[in-house]
Amino acid sequence: MIIIGAGEVGYDLGTMLSQEKHDVVILDRNKEALRLCGDNDVLTMEGNATSAQDLKNAGVADADLVVAATNLDEVNMVAALLSKRLGAAKVIARIRNDEFSRPNALVRASDMGIDVMIHPEMSVAREIVLLVKRAAASDVVSLADGKMQLVGIRLDKQSTLTGMRLKEVGAMGSNLTFRVVAIYRGGFTLIPFGNDRLQANDHVFFLARTEDIAAVMKLTGHEDRRMRHVMITGGTTVGAMIARMLSEDDTDWKVKLIEPDYDTSYELASELRDVLVLNGNPTDPNLLVTEGITETDVFIAVTDDEESNIISCLMAKHLRVPKVVAMVSKSDYIPLSQTIGLDAAVNKKLAAANEIHRHVRKGSVLSVAALHGIKAELLEFEADADSPIVRSPLAKLVFPKGCVVGGIIRDGRAEVATGTTRVEAGDRVITFCLPEAIDKIVTYF
Amino acid sequence: MLFGGVNRSRSKIDLRLVAGVTGALLVFMGLALLLPLPMALADGEAVWWVYPAAAVITMGIGGSLFGLFRPQADLRAREAFLVVTITWLLITGFSALPFILSGSLTFYADAFFETMSGLTTTGATVYGGTTSNGVENGLLVDQPRSILLWRSLLHWFGGMGFVVLSVAVLPFLSVGGGSQLFSAESSAGTTDKITPRVQEAAAWLWGVYLTFTLVNFILLWVHPSMDWFDALNHAMSTAATGGFSTKDMSFIHYGSEYLEWVTIVFMFLAGVSFTMHFRLLRGEFRVFAENRETRFYTLMTFISVGIIALFLWWDGGFTPHDAIRYGAFETISVITTTGFVSNNYEIWPVVAVLMLFLMFFTGGCAGSTSGGIKSFRVMILLKNTMREIRQTVHPRGVLPVQVGNRTIEPATIMRILSFVIAYVFFFSLGALILTATGLDFMSAIGASIACLANIGPALGDFGPIDNYASMPWVGKWTMSFLMMIGRLEVFTVLVLFSKTYWRE
Repeated sequence: MIIIGAGEVGYDLGTMLSQEKHDVVILDRNKEALRLCGDNDVLTMEGNATSAQDLKNAGVADADLVVAATNLDEVNMVAALLSKRLGAAKVIARIRNDEFSRPNALVRASDMGIDVMIHPEMSVAREIVLLVKRAAASDVVSLADGKMQLVGIRLDKQSTLTGMRLKEVGAMGSNLTFRVVAIYRGGFTLIPFGNDRLQANDHVFFLARTEDIAAVMKLTGHEDRRMRHVMITGGTTVGAMIARMLSEDDTDWKVKLIEPDYDTSYELASELRDVLVLNGNPTDPNLLVTEGITETDVFIAVTDDEESNIISCLMAKHLRVPKVVAMVSKSDYIPLSQTIGLDAAVNKKLAAANEIHRHVRKGSVLSVAALHGIKAELLEFEADADSPIVRSPLAKLVFPKGCVVGGIIRDGRAEVATGTTRVEAGDRVITFCLPEAIDKIVTYF
Repeated sequence: MLFGGVNRSRSKIDLRLVAGVTGALLVFMGLALLLPLPMALADGEAVWWVYPAAAVITMGIGGSLFGLFRPQADLRAREAFLVVTITWLLITGFSALPFILSGSLTFYADAFFETMSGLTTTGATVYGGTTSNGVENGLLVDQPRSILLWRSLLHWFGGMGFVVLSVAVLPFLSVGGGSQLFSAESSAGTTDKITPRVQEAAAWLWGVYLTFTLVNFILLWVHPSMDWFDALNHAMSTAATGGFSTKDMSFIHYGSEYLEWVTIVFMFLAGVSFTMHFRLLRGEFRVFAENRETRFYTLMTFISVGIIALFLWWDGGFTPHDAIRYGAFETISVITTTGFVSNNYEIWPVVAVLMLFLMFFTGGCAGSTSGGIKSFRVMILLKNTMREIRQTVHPRGVLPVQVGNRTIEPATIMRILSFVIAYVFFFSLGALILTATGLDFMSAIGASIACLANIGPALGDFGPIDNYASMPWVGKWTMSFLMMIGRLEVFTVLVLFSKTYWRE
């Protein structure tokens, strides 16, 4: 595996892949950056990403995967094109310019030898927009082309579900189908079984069809109340994207965006006509109050300074904003987020890693997503006719501990898995696993 | 190339160069002076000789200037200001000759006023009244036809000269926010320059202008009460948004609803940018419909016509039909700064008169033949005011003024604001001078804005059925100056009065 560019994304990816026991080579021109990467178990090489010779020397010709993750789109494009010509099996490039992914693009990613384009900022922005739309949720992951969602939520004392065994929840007889796939409790992630009891303050992750989510949220004691007023701090790429997505959304969002740099805010204001752009310091309480933070429903801090993001979110929380979201890059800070009261913390690196990760796993794994702060991973498999999982209904299968089937997608229709569900050949199966169980679950497909 | 290259080696204004270029332009104007000659000969007028005589004088002086100071270098932006102003003054001065030589007007001040009014497409006339020193200026209908044709030709050349000036030259000089607007007003994917080269663009615009005049001419001519001569003169006057008529009572003389509606439509169209007409002729209807200034101009016209017609019907005793007919004619005549008259608006209900007077301060679109403050400036200032209100609510808000998809830079807004302030200053100055000569309040403010905005008919002594003959001499010279200042977008002239313009 070869990673081009030892920047932020390259470093994290290298670390992650080397921990998963892949052979990783990192190519960069900057010695200092390489030295940092070298602390992990990776091979570093000094060289030019756009030089065919340097790429050849790095071993691109027989690499399974080449990831072009420098900061420059153009460099990534050239590196991807060269790598593909040199014979790399799969090429992933970080391309920020979304012109290439539009349906009517003049030049497509494939024309440049790129198999997969990743755009971490876009992924983060999409995730935050989902969080904004699901008011009470701390995590929202869209699955099966948006037909299903995985939603993380904190269980209140007054919720009808509190204290119930999962078996009883299933037997409540309502025609709502949802499946609790993970619980985060006291710093541990558990994959629950029928006998496990839900407790107050549990962080519960459940899977349901998108149209049922609102009803399920109600059960957990959270009205999925309508959000309208959104305040974003930081006119960064991510901030601008969120503002753009919200203003293009059908719902009439009232978006305010705070950006300290005047020129940047002027440009944003010219482009985002429905967004009120404010020029000021995101951590200035006076500004936040004059601009009506007390009426704000969602506060999103996405400046490049993560400490400032956390501080301004805490300030917003203090001013009783119902939901605050911070972009935090240091993975170390993510577990803190719930403790200090952030409703959700999103991570740009994790988003990038998620995107790349799903192409790293081999075999029948279709896609992968990791969740912030909890250990479990979401894996999507395709079942074959000779996969062990198709033999009997789920309830009759002996599943490894730390694994659960959440849902299946059959002929483009998404269904939440129950005990009676029987997986058929060709189904796409969404599973939720603790890392140590991943190797075991793979054998079922 | 006239306004092309920029020579940075010289720092002071090269007066010899200015003289040379001005001379060349005078030669062209001399040729134009020959145009009424066939008319004069055909009618067997005794004064036919005035045209060749004036042409010889103009071309002689222009030719000698050009010969003496043959331009060696390209004109720079700074010198262009001087050339534009000096040429405008000299051309007016020489074009006034036929009026004097033919004895049609007695005083040079009157002839100069009439010519300036023609070239600036104002349409204020001194014919048909008694001057302040008791000399009777003849009625229009008694003038030789060649003189009437010359008046219309002044309009026609002045109007188009101005469009070319405003499309090709003024943007280059960046006067009053014009250039920013020309680029800012283009819709997505196209620039407002219709062709890459100025000469080619000018040729196209002349073509559009000629077509426009011709169609209008035919539509007027088919009506029995207009002969070909009247139709031609009114068509030229309309295309230029001028206002000179061959009749002393303008359209009241005809009283024909057909002629009025044809003129309403053509006045309105003449108030739209000629680049838009060019687009329209090429079938780009969407560009036309989506242009923000055109939309604003249309909306403004409809609303003011609506208000005025409403009060004419409600308070003025007009039938709804007549209220719309006369309301539309006068309002559009004023907004486009044409100045034709089909009904004496001075006897309208006061509210309608005041509404009409407010419209004196608007004007047509940039790049049209109309004068005034112009729609885009009014539009941007209104938007800026709305912005300012929002800014009060959100002190830290970053709120750019946007027209369509384009953001108007603060510098452009400042320039427009300064323009309007300078405009109001000259309006006030003009009105003050007029009152100092003994005119009453209404006449003074009416005439001042009517001349500055190149409209023509004003209020009081200079109302729609009156003329400017009775204005004192000081007033006539002042108004001539205001007409030029208004036409040349204020700063082109104003810059010549700054010390820094003449020094480095």
